Amino acid sequence: MSEAEIARAEAATDRVAASAPRRAVSLAARAGVVLAKRAALLCALLAVVFAAIELLPGDAASAAADRGESAADTAARRHLLGLDRPLWERFGDWMTALPTGDLGTSAGGERVTDLLSAPLPNTLLLGGAAFALTLVSALALGCWAAARPGGPVDRVIGFASTVTLALPEFVVSVGLLLLLSLWTGWLPAATMTTADGSPASWTMLIMPVLALAVPQIGWNARIVRGALADQAAAPHVIAAHLDGLAPRRVLLRHALPGAWPAVATGAATSTGMLLGGAVVVETLFNYPGLGTVLAGSVADRDTPVIAGVVACTGAVISLVLLGADLVRARTLGARP
Amino acid sequence: MSADALATPRPRRPRARILVRVAPGLLLTLLALAGPLLAPHPLDKPVTAPYAEPGGPAALGGDQLGRDVLSRMLHGGSELIGSALVVALLVTTLATVLGCFAVLRPTLGRLVERGADLAILLPPVLGMMLLALAWPGGGRLAVIVAAVALGVPYAVRVVASAAAPVAACGFIEAATASGERLWHLALREILPNLRATVLALFGLRFVAAVYVIAMAGFLQLGPQPPEADWALMIRENAAGALLNPWVVLAPGAAIGLLAVSVNLAADALAPTAGRHAVTAR
Amino acid sequence: MNWTRRQALWAGGGVGAAALLAACGGGKDDTASSSADSAGGTPRKGGTLRIGALGRGSATTRDPHGVQGNESDYLIIALVYDTLTAPGLKDNTVGRLASGWKSSDDLKTWRFTIAKGATFHDGSPVTADDVVWSLRRLRNTPAGAGRLPGIKAENITADGKDTVVLVSDDANADLPLLTRLSTFVLKKDTSDKEIAKAPGTGPFKLDWFRGGNARLLRNDKWHGGPVHLDAIEVTMFESPQAMANALLGGQIDVASNVGAVAARTAASRKDIQVTRRPNDMAMPIVMRTAEGPFADPKVREAMKLVVDREAMVKQVLSGYGTVANDILGTGDPAYAKDVPQRRRDLDKVKKLLEEADFDFSKTYELVTTEDIAGLAESATLFATQAREAGIKIKVVKQESGAFYEKTWLKGDFYTNYWGTNDSVVFFASKTMVTGAGQNEAGWSEKQFDDTYRKVIGTADKKARATSLRELQQIEHEKSGYLLWGMADGIDLAAAKVRNLPKLPGYGRVQLENVWLSR
Repeated sequence: MSEAEIARAEAATDRVAASAPRRAVSLAARAGVVLAKRAALLCALLAVVFAAIELLPGDAASAAADRGESAADTAARRHLLGLDRPLWERFGDWMTALPTGDLGTSAGGERVTDLLSAPLPNTLLLGGAAFALTLVSALALGCWAAARPGGPVDRVIGFASTVTLALPEFVVSVGLLLLLSLWTGWLPAATMTTADGSPASWTMLIMPVLALAVPQIGWNARIVRGALADQAAAPHVIAAHLDGLAPRRVLLRHALPGAWPAVATGAATSTGMLLGGAVVVETLFNYPGLGTVLAGSVADRDTPVIAGVVACTGAVISLVLLGADLVRARTLGARP
Repeated sequence: MSADALATPRPRRPRARILVRVAPGLLLTLLALAGPLLAPHPLDKPVTAPYAEPGGPAALGGDQLGRDVLSRMLHGGSELIGSALVVALLVTTLATVLGCFAVLRPTLGRLVERGADLAILLPPVLGMMLLALAWPGGGRLAVIVAAVALGVPYAVRVVASAAAPVAACGFIEAATASGERLWHLALREILPNLRATVLALFGLRFVAAVYVIAMAGFLQLGPQPPEADWALMIRENAAGALLNPWVVLAPGAAIGLLAVSVNLAADALAPTAGRHAVTAR
Repeated sequence: MNWTRRQALWAGGGVGAAALLAACGGGKDDTASSSADSAGGTPRKGGTLRIGALGRGSATTRDPHGVQGNESDYLIIALVYDTLTAPGLKDNTVGRLASGWKSSDDLKTWRFTIAKGATFHDGSPVTADDVVWSLRRLRNTPAGAGRLPGIKAENITADGKDTVVLVSDDANADLPLLTRLSTFVLKKDTSDKEIAKAPGTGPFKLDWFRGGNARLLRNDKWHGGPVHLDAIEVTMFESPQAMANALLGGQIDVASNVGAVAARTAASRKDIQVTRRPNDMAMPIVMRTAEGPFADPKVREAMKLVVDREAMVKQVLSGYGTVANDILGTGDPAYAKDVPQRRRDLDKVKKLLEEADFDFSKTYELVTTEDIAGLAESATLFATQAREAGIKIKVVKQESGAFYEKTWLKGDFYTNYWGTNDSVVFFASKTMVTGAGQNEAGWSEKQFDDTYRKVIGTADKKARATSLRELQQIEHEKSGYLLWGMADGIDLAAAKVRNLPKLPGYGRVQLENVWLSR
């Protein structure tokens, strides 16, 4: 979607809200309402996921079956896993256990919380690093390009972001692997973990982070550039310029703050890609994260594990979106 | 630098420059379409050792079955481009129609918003896997449907936010007051004012579709063997990248080139005003 | 023997067939890296072996009797716990926790003696009660009937402190072979909650386990003899490629079951040993015999004659495999090597198909999956080869779950794989006798059934061998299996690793004799 455009549209509504009295109170209340809404959406999504797995051919019992197993044995396994109960009942049980931190049991008999306890922090680390890199690079490139619209720097950055935004992560990953590891031996090709399940060395994070961030940097640099161009037309930016302020100062102090909402929305959208879309990167670099757990559990029709992963990533994305909402509200509240 | 320069849209490009920017995309598409005719070998016949280095019968070496990489490259583009084109068309059309109605009917608008909110929480890979798995044998069609389903919620938001100011214009309000029908308002009054947005949207949707379809191919969804497909080639052959790097580099570069050239063309064709409004998936 | 069918990680389970070390590392000590005595030299105590094994984070399990989807999990479990018996190099079956076994004359009652001095890691001795409890626990899992076939839970009993008695419903000369895979012994009355940390009796103790990866420490008091390594670190890999990359970069010392492409990549590296374990994986094409286009034996024979076996091995397996002859169980010492090798013969194909009134205008769908490397490729190449005889075949790739739900045991024409290459009789009993549970081709042939019954009911070795030869001849001629070749199992290792297990299949998890030079 157009982060810039949506941000502009949403900014319009925000402005009305911000002009109302008792701004702080309304801000907290609004955050609460938004939080509740996001939680409700997450529940709806989990219901959709439960139903969708049900529609797939095969189930967890048949996926876990041995070659020598008879239909009766598989039926026994189905009963053990509770898969012979109606869908809504299983969903209800899973949802009611969720607030207590119980995510159910996998088809392999492991507690889902145990299965996710190592991959979740790893994914947050990888995703967080990629997110930070995306944000910083996109802002730097976007500002640099906007400093001289239509100039050579603007064009090169525009072209480069076009190249990268369409490059799927696996293309970037394979390229990085060949270039930085297999041909040169500069970086470790695979991620090894320590006793606590986290990567043994920070050098193992470099390639996965780059592979995830490069396409997102492409998108977000364009958003920053677009939002800055919009801001340049805003009266207060033109006024600042007419006041004779230095161009750099106008860009950073006057144009950029107004661009924050669009940038925040854009970056928040990237979170989904960084968390859930990491499966390819994780497989290629053997990074022990949530993406591969998700892919494996879909292949096994292991509903509690899938739902556990979706709940985790959904919660993180919701939080980031909430953060973006707050940034938007603050920025717009701070200006008349 | 002046604020004016920052704000003023660039002047429209002369025709020749547009042509220069559109040419690579056209050329690549033509090459992909004519590829099967140019291929020196059939796409499914082994001509050399698996992952053989370039040389002899195979200019770019062999793939995992010893088939000619160059021939498979030439065969593998047209379907990818075709599918991406279909996805881009469908997404743009659906999004435009829905978006135009959404600004006129607040209930629909809210529904679209909630849909997009829901979609943003779903890992795209999961969505793709679920759809393609639930529809085994769907092949490319399943991937196209998945790509459309993933793309529309976002695209509708774009159109809706571009259409909102138009809908608030005096002439639409006047038309509403005079009792014009909904579809007439949406398609005759609002749509024509969104041309720039829609064009730019189409270009970026195409690039996004290449990305999504390539991802799907990489996740084993879509094309069936022995079909050649650039994304599929990378996944199938990644294991042999050290033996014959071209088997991965060539399709990777082709996907990159396609994306870039299409984006160049879209940038050149879409009026500047619509362009940065649509900077996204 | 059976394994989780969906996860394609399982290769091998071989009988006989000594593995040979192919390309060998150079290094300083030339003899040590040559195939004959990579075990050579005096074992040196100490060091940590870093080994990579395939597995998926979502499918990890800690229960020795649970669903085993990951090679990495099985490796860890097999080093911490002991099975009653284990695969051996000269004999199919060697003792592990059991020091010996004896059968009654009717081959139904089997008595296993527990090895002297066997103790759990916490110091308590292993008793027959522990073994009985563990075997019954295994038998009572949903997979139990397949893992201990023909043995009811109540027919597993203790006789004194150190003897366990298993009574099979039918005569079964191969019963000790069935206890090789998953008869892991735990302490009696270990609760499900304590399973993850339950003490075992194996050569290594668990130090830590996290997200599929683990570190194991030497058990100095192992009943099986001295253990050389200080520790083993197991890293789980989602893909063989990443594992191969890690080995090439020196991040791990052994890449277990990593595949032919990795072996070729490593071939130019002097510092890496490549282990080939032949007869590791069968990838037959299954043709439905009960009905459909392949019900006519002439059509099936034509299909078996149309395939270019050498080309399949060369292109699909990169040459890391052997041509097969449509008989399953190629690793069995009793495998009939003297049945004439079937070769491509397009003239005969044409003749046979004409005689059978084969419909050349139709396109036949060959269903395949990507469960294991090379499977979909084998289908693709077969289709290409068949087209040269005018047979139109369309390859349909199914997702694993859909394949097992819709095609396996039901389809007319599909590829399949067996990573457990136990014996000719095993395949006959599981997949070819009328009414067998996994009769994939729906085959029913009276002559075959009669011969099979003769084989399992005969105690006399010579008479049994004759019948076994006859059984394979019938299988070769009429069954619904087109077995074009056998893939090698391939492990890569750094030059310093010595005495890696040479056994095919899950025998490769026996790392207690491995040591590191220097």
